[in-house]
Amino acid sequence: MTGRQNWQTAFLNQAKVDWDAYQKTRRGMWPECHQLLFLQMASEKLAKALLVAGHSSLEAITQSHAAFVKFMQIASNNRKLQRAFGMKKSQQRAQFKSLLPIAYEIELLAPALAQRGPNPEYPWEDATGNILTPANYPFPLVIRLRQTPQGLQLLKYIEIFLNRFEELFM
Amino acid sequence: MSQNHNILSAAESLIQEHFELEPNLENVIWINSDKTTEIRLLEINSMTFPAGAVLSFYFPPDEEFPYPTIMAEITPEEWQKVLRNEIPLPEGWTLENHKVYSREMATV
Repeated sequence: MTGRQNWQTAFLNQAKVDWDAYQKTRRGMWPECHQLLFLQMASEKLAKALLVAGHSSLEAITQSHAAFVKFMQIASNNRKLQRAFGMKKSQQRAQFKSLLPIAYEIELLAPALAQRGPNPEYPWEDATGNILTPANYPFPLVIRLRQTPQGLQLLKYIEIFLNRFEELFM
Repeated sequence: MSQNHNILSAAESLIQEHFELEPNLENVIWINSDKTTEIRLLEINSMTFPAGAVLSFYFPPDEEFPYPTIMAEITPEEWQKVLRNEIPLPEGWTLENHKVYSREMATV
């Protein structure tokens, strides 16, 4: 195994355990912030597991948190996905495009990208000067993930990508 | 048919397909187009989300498309920063021997 392959395996394994943690927090009585924290971490590492096979430097990959949306955009060109899901290229492209806004919401949960706004890890100050705590904040994204076709579809894809990563991306 | 001709034909048909599928695609840069073993594409899309970096993804070859392909998508503003060396290209990528494809060129 090359160094890059080791990194790929490591990102994928960590993404899978983050996803498992997300599933457990979804089923139990965990605060929404913890659900979203694990979902954001799983999706970022899933993206990086594919990214690390490309030519981007490890420094760029590890420092950037803006990987998941790029992953979804680029994955829409993946011929193996088209065959696996029996979709035409144009259908797959359109479907993935419809998922980008909610993927972007997940990506923006990373504190580094949240720009001192809602995020699942650290308190923040809103425009009126109130200090808000992730543990008590009603994240609208949770509802969108559970109750919209895009949210449900995106979660389904993340699970499929993690479970069938080698088949679909390698 | 030469190896160069084969990869040229494959790259250009892929680029044309991407222009057909993505209306917001402005240009496609075929990076290091003299390489005959893989295709590196940098796509400039006005509607993509900026990442502040050129994040490149690998697609393995398969029976339908026999060349490994490495693709990245950036905004027009990020492309200007690449040209000004404010955003680095991925490792091993240079702007020597690159080809720029516009929608008009690709759909001729």
